[in-house]
Amino acid sequence: MAEGNGRRSPGGPKTPNRLTRRNFLKAAGTGLAGASLLGIAGCGGGAGTSGASAGDGMWKQFSGMTLAFISENTAPTSAIAANLQPFKDLTGIDVSISQLELTAVQQKVALDFGSRTGQYPIVYADPYNIMVPLRDGLVDLSKFMNDDSLPSVPKGQDDFISTHLDAAGRFEDKLLALPFDCPTLIWCYRKDLFEKYHDRMRKDLGFDPTPSTSVTWEQYYQIAKWFNENADEVPYGTGHQAKQFTSLTDDFANVLWAYGGDFFENGDKVGRLGATDPGPSTLDAPEAIEAATFYKKLVDIAHPGSTSWDWNDLGEAFGAEQVAMAPEWHEFAGAWWVPGGLIGKVGFSLLPTGPARSANHYGGTGIGVNKYASQDEQKAAWLFVVWATSPETQLMGLKSSDGGGTPTRKSVYALQEVKKNMTPPTSIPNALTSSVSLEAWEPQNIGLRPKTPTWNQCDAIIYTELSKMLAGGKSPEEAMRSAKRGVDETTKGGERAV
Amino acid sequence: MMLPALAVLAAISILPFLYIIWMSLNDVTLLGGSGLSSRWVGLGNWAGMFTDPNVWAGWVRMVIYFVATVGLQVILGVAIALLVHEVVWGKNLALSLILIPMFIAPVIVGLLGRFLINPTYGLYSWILEETGIFTGNILGEDVPAFVAVVLMDVWEWTPLITLITLAGLVSVQQQVLEAAKVDGAGYWRRLWHIVLPSISGIVLVALLVRSMDALRYFDIVWQVTGGGPANATKIIPMGLYEVAFRFLQLGYAATIGLVMLAISILIANLFTRMLKQRGLAG
Repeated sequence: MAEGNGRRSPGGPKTPNRLTRRNFLKAAGTGLAGASLLGIAGCGGGAGTSGASAGDGMWKQFSGMTLAFISENTAPTSAIAANLQPFKDLTGIDVSISQLELTAVQQKVALDFGSRTGQYPIVYADPYNIMVPLRDGLVDLSKFMNDDSLPSVPKGQDDFISTHLDAAGRFEDKLLALPFDCPTLIWCYRKDLFEKYHDRMRKDLGFDPTPSTSVTWEQYYQIAKWFNENADEVPYGTGHQAKQFTSLTDDFANVLWAYGGDFFENGDKVGRLGATDPGPSTLDAPEAIEAATFYKKLVDIAHPGSTSWDWNDLGEAFGAEQVAMAPEWHEFAGAWWVPGGLIGKVGFSLLPTGPARSANHYGGTGIGVNKYASQDEQKAAWLFVVWATSPETQLMGLKSSDGGGTPTRKSVYALQEVKKNMTPPTSIPNALTSSVSLEAWEPQNIGLRPKTPTWNQCDAIIYTELSKMLAGGKSPEEAMRSAKRGVDETTKGGERAV
Repeated sequence: MMLPALAVLAAISILPFLYIIWMSLNDVTLLGGSGLSSRWVGLGNWAGMFTDPNVWAGWVRMVIYFVATVGLQVILGVAIALLVHEVVWGKNLALSLILIPMFIAPVIVGLLGRFLINPTYGLYSWILEETGIFTGNILGEDVPAFVAVVLMDVWEWTPLITLITLAGLVSVQQQVLEAAKVDGAGYWRRLWHIVLPSISGIVLVALLVRSMDALRYFDIVWQVTGGGPANATKIIPMGLYEVAFRFLQLGYAATIGLVMLAISILIANLFTRMLKQRGLAG
């Protein structure tokens, strides 16, 4: 994920369910070699698979090669890094993983593409910071899907959650990555406190405060204020990731979309498939200004630390019982499920509803293949991409004791083992948010940032203006108008945004 | 005889410098991912920079930052050096402890600072709040955030000034000080008329070193505030990094970098001239 959602590893739950190669085979329900297994799964998978008959040779053809994978330091990548042996057994390929903070990843990938060295054949292609701004350096994956000498995508592309595949994988008419992780901002709250104070809050506020989409953002504000004034367990009702950073744009976007606003006129398309020219910004629309006005009101009563917190700081503060609720990336669920932490005390819900809808910001990322790597390296990288995004590996990530995240594959959520662990008591804490996340990824609930080549610059303009609104005394109207001006100049190629 | 040396100098210094000048005259970008693309824009980047209010604002913050950090470091550094110089017992231990901050990587100083003023568990935040001195969020408000990053830089680099000044104090002629003492001059008088003039040259050297550093100050701000809130700590090196490595506009970044280089040279020349006036530079 990224700065772009770039969250850092929230630290994963401890489970004894490390996936061994034996388990890998068992999970697939066959005694065949892993290679042919994946190939067969692909044949039955429907759209998007090559239909190639897979065999050991198909997976072993690049045995002895070493590949470099550059990734943001995320929990799902940590899980993969801790369990590369199944891939080595399957292919004979060694993978060396460099995990860095997202801006460093972007910088290294840009320089790699700029010098055309192909130093990192496998790239963590954050859609907003890497995939779209550096799109010509990534291979269109249909090239490998149509190659009979290579394994196809197990269970086919249709097994990926459709919004993930579009948002994290596609740009305009190309498929540049396969969905690898899927952090999403949802409403995380202290279930124990909401239960304890439910009746009092209901009486005082005049509505049912139980987190759900029946609660509006205005009511969320009232709940936060109620906690500020009445609860002793936590000093503040709500916390936000409102540091002058991409986390601020991420947090604000939930409110913006809920109020019917958007970053660009054709926001749905620019968010889902992306656009080289996103058209004029709509940040000065009345809905956007109303959203900004509300957001400022909300952050004003939030934990004062909010204006210097990113997602990690907010996650820590929630874990340290500083706030009763917060919109936070769902992958933090596992980090709070630790002894001495908040085991059994945290609940999850879709974010509140605004005048338009409930919008839940998706920040997932795919992995792609570097066009400047040699042809053999590209094909070997494809093997890794197929393996890392396969249902089996995604299940391994979900169960990992070394971080991990939630799967991007529908079939994993359909497994009984996963279903029964979606609610406490659970042996897979990462799965606790699954039912809410699955709902959040429905097209009507998901919030997608614009995918456009200059998004990094637009993002910087937006979060700077928002920060000026929150900490610099600028009015919401002024901030949104300045943001619109800057974004329009940027997408036309003018703004420098130092 | 000189040719090999000139070739090395050209390779590591002159050619990159000429390349950066060329970049500043072109729209050089890594955007797109198809390699380094460039398009001749002449003085377009320069005109853009001089009319960019964000760049000017960044320079204004840079000047305030520069004066605050270097000024405080000199005052505190000289004061601490004078104190340590007077210490008779445990001088080496005191000096070792005082020097510790400058051996810590700036990025770690930033991390430490962030922890100490974190509104959730920061020790300094807690002390300030308990004593009623400051009850807000230090990094969430513009002026306190700026003061915080200034103080972190001061904490790290004041020891360097102390060290250099101590070296200067050793060279102050003891006979002159003794004579002044015999003539009835008090501590402050001796300090003002004998000690400070004697060490002014070496303090200038310390100032020169710190000035060059302060102009490219980046790590702590990046780690602690990222330039916020409300751009309050976005000094010019932050802007340069963002333009080059986040927005991938290398041509425009080269333009900003060249101006930074010109200003660094200007400041260095100013100090060199002052040193020459004192007969301390050739």
